[in-house]
Amino acid sequence: MGSLLAIYAFDELWNLSNIVRYGLMSLQHRGAQNFVVCIPGERVECLHGENIDEVSRGASKNVALAVIGNDSDNMLIEVDDSGVVAMASERSWDGASRALQALSNAFSNGGDPVTSFISTLNRVSDDVAPSMAVLTKRGELVIWRSPSSFSPLVLGSYGFDMAIVSSESVAIDILGGDVKRFLKPGEGIYIAKYIVKHFTAGVSEHRGLCTFELLYLARHDAIVDGVSVYEFRKHLGRELAKYLESDVDVVVGVPETALPYAIGFAEVIKKPFEMAFMATGGRRRSMLFSDPFEKIVSIHLKMNPIRGVLEGKRVALVDDSMVTGSTIKTVSQILRFRVGVPEVHLFIASPPLIMPCPFSVLRLDMKGLLAANLSQSLARDYLEVDSLHWLSKEDVDRVASRFGLKLCGKCFGVDFFGCRK
Amino acid sequence: MKVLLIGSGGREHALAKLIRRSVLEPRLFVAMDYRNPGLEKESVETGGKMFIVNTVSAKDVANVAEEVSPDLVVVGPEEPQFHGVTDVLRERGYIVFGASSRCAEVEKSKVFARSLMWKHDIYGRLYFKAFTSVEEARKFIEFAGDVVIKPARQAGGKGVKVLRDTQAYLSRDRAEVKKTYIEKLFSEMEGYRDIDYKIIVEQRVEGVEYTSMIITDGDTILPLPLVQDHPHAFEFDIGPETGGMGSIQGPGWILPFITREEFGKTVEVVSQVLKALQSEVREKYVGAFAGQMMLTGIWGPTVIEFYSRFGDPEMSNLVPIVASDFLEILDKAARRKLAGAKLDIDEDRVTIVKAIAPAGYPDNRRIAAGHPIHVDEGGVRELGCEVLYASVELLANGVMYTKGSRVFEIVCSSDNYDDAYERIEKAITYVKSLDGWPLFYRSDIGSRELLNDRIRAAERVRTIYGSRSRRGLLGKVLMWVPGEGISDNPLIGFVR
Repeated sequence: MGSLLAIYAFDELWNLSNIVRYGLMSLQHRGAQNFVVCIPGERVECLHGENIDEVSRGASKNVALAVIGNDSDNMLIEVDDSGVVAMASERSWDGASRALQALSNAFSNGGDPVTSFISTLNRVSDDVAPSMAVLTKRGELVIWRSPSSFSPLVLGSYGFDMAIVSSESVAIDILGGDVKRFLKPGEGIYIAKYIVKHFTAGVSEHRGLCTFELLYLARHDAIVDGVSVYEFRKHLGRELAKYLESDVDVVVGVPETALPYAIGFAEVIKKPFEMAFMATGGRRRSMLFSDPFEKIVSIHLKMNPIRGVLEGKRVALVDDSMVTGSTIKTVSQILRFRVGVPEVHLFIASPPLIMPCPFSVLRLDMKGLLAANLSQSLARDYLEVDSLHWLSKEDVDRVASRFGLKLCGKCFGVDFFGCRK
Repeated sequence: MKVLLIGSGGREHALAKLIRRSVLEPRLFVAMDYRNPGLEKESVETGGKMFIVNTVSAKDVANVAEEVSPDLVVVGPEEPQFHGVTDVLRERGYIVFGASSRCAEVEKSKVFARSLMWKHDIYGRLYFKAFTSVEEARKFIEFAGDVVIKPARQAGGKGVKVLRDTQAYLSRDRAEVKKTYIEKLFSEMEGYRDIDYKIIVEQRVEGVEYTSMIITDGDTILPLPLVQDHPHAFEFDIGPETGGMGSIQGPGWILPFITREEFGKTVEVVSQVLKALQSEVREKYVGAFAGQMMLTGIWGPTVIEFYSRFGDPEMSNLVPIVASDFLEILDKAARRKLAGAKLDIDEDRVTIVKAIAPAGYPDNRRIAAGHPIHVDEGGVRELGCEVLYASVELLANGVMYTKGSRVFEIVCSSDNYDDAYERIEKAITYVKSLDGWPLFYRSDIGSRELLNDRIRAAERVRTIYGSRSRRGLLGKVLMWVPGEGISDNPLIGFVR
């Protein structure tokens, strides 16, 4: 899945290169093997690349549209033949080329851009259309959060000078801006030099945010649709504590997503939360690699143990989710063989993953899903943990409701968690 | 009673509406720069007359006064004050409500206003540095940090660059913008021959803005209820600075995000400035005076700038709620007999004002001007709201055309924000562009969501200034350069 970043500086004296660079840097944790930056001109120009510095240098004007995505997301931005518009989608979509053509026609014909955009959507969008961002060669931006999108879109500003739209609030923070609005599903915004218009389009029912947006994808410091990701994670960790059956000495989170879960867990059971592992070479999101070798490399790089605090201790190990179990397997092997802990009790802050994602937001292979293939006792033995606990679907439902969230839960075997508005 | 009102916009239309209600049965004469159909109507209906003149020309306005022979002259905008219109009218013996050119210096020159606050040690002052030459400014800006760059002269609420610079990794980019902007602003300010300082660089603050207006005769001060303006052009506080896209007021004298104590402190600051100003220019201040304030973590109530007149659109919020005879108050102030006067307002009501502007405003007024436009005033009135005519001209063909700035202001009031909001959103739909030129307004103004945001933001700021106050740090920003010592210059940045 891709992440969108669109920046509009109302004063033409801004050169956005460095600003796009830091903006993209703050979104890298969402998966970043592919970068595209587009700018307006005689025709829309897009620069593709595999590192941030390379592409951000291209953002030399006062308007830029950028997308980052995983290794397989290679069609996230497309430009029509005449260079009138670039259309970025947060995930690949069958209707994309039709939408692009229709937008190209609409924007070459003149007329009210918002009306053109909405009528295009009405014609070509279906109930799986993703959120999208359009840049025209005249330098207008249209950004729309689809009701069937699984990730958020946030609107922010920098003084009187810039409007910033991003898939995650952190980009706005990092660029020194202020978050102004969490676009609602179906809401869009048109930004041009002399006019900014806010509109609503698309009538399909909101599918809910992908549960993994809150569980895993967003940074701890992000605010997703008004909800603090950190608070949400800590809260799930607190819920997990009720499944503790035997005494433990320390609480450890699998780095680094699971740290707030472990902190919430430790708070409830009144045992120390310990840093247990140090990462080498910066943050890598193991779950976002599709190549199994790359994935295991990034897991291994994260896991040098701090032996002293763990040796001889009974460990409650907390993680946000378990897909194939390969991370947990690695961690438990390290805890057992390199550190020497007598007990590992595993707590997963989400329910068992039992279905592939029908929307391909997460590439979950049915064959690889641990919970769908192994019995509880077989899983315990494979992972070498003394006990294995999951949050129930009801737990997640209750917490999501409490935070006012509606989350898609298809891969957990339920339509939604939380508010069913 | 014959009243001559000087000015052409929405603020003057609001004043006209308030003045008309008086028991003194005013005949309203208006001197304006263009044929504002709202002002024309008010003058005709009261048996007065309108005059199209250059309102910054003291001579032209004096000629009108001679023809009308008014019992009271009310000067609405600041530019006529700057150009001596008030002075000339007073010299000729007219009773005038409006700041003299010397008093109006407090709005015209931001350097004068800031220096005044420092000289008299007044609460809520900000650090600044001003420049007469571009070379000097260029040199300074190399090292400037978290600052705001402004024209040193009042320039119609334009030209302010707020450059939050608290992240070293982006400070080089911001420094580039500062440098380019200084050059651009200097060349724009060249046109103003009536001021020495061209650019002012100020300490940047953040928080919640509000306007505190007063009426004074130089001795007595009559505070008006607080109003909050919305300077960003576009919804959700996005985009360039404008003269104000709408404003909210009430209930009562304060706003939902400002406490009584903060209101009290604000009026105290405004009064102190007024006193200092009068001692500095050795003249009585007669007219409206206002502080554009911000509740900040540095001070709590903090002065952003001053107005030597009523705020626009802030004045429009008063139209539905003033219960007193407003003309009587203006007249008493102008005759320097304000002592004992009282301003009553309907304290149970709230008001929302929204401005509608043509695309192009505020940065390209040329393309924003000359578009035919219509408002169904009957429709707006049926909703219990009012239309104020601002930057709009009625031509001989009977059609109204945009002049490049905010065209209309819609005013709705109610005993609660939700109801006022709902009605004003409907009322806005009665404004139509006749040639398809895009218009814009801000639907977020007055909404529950924005109001809650402001309440949260004010709470955060209150926590900061509360704790700074307890530690005796209000207004202080200490910087330590090892080897050089502690300084109090918050204008310096990372790049040294």
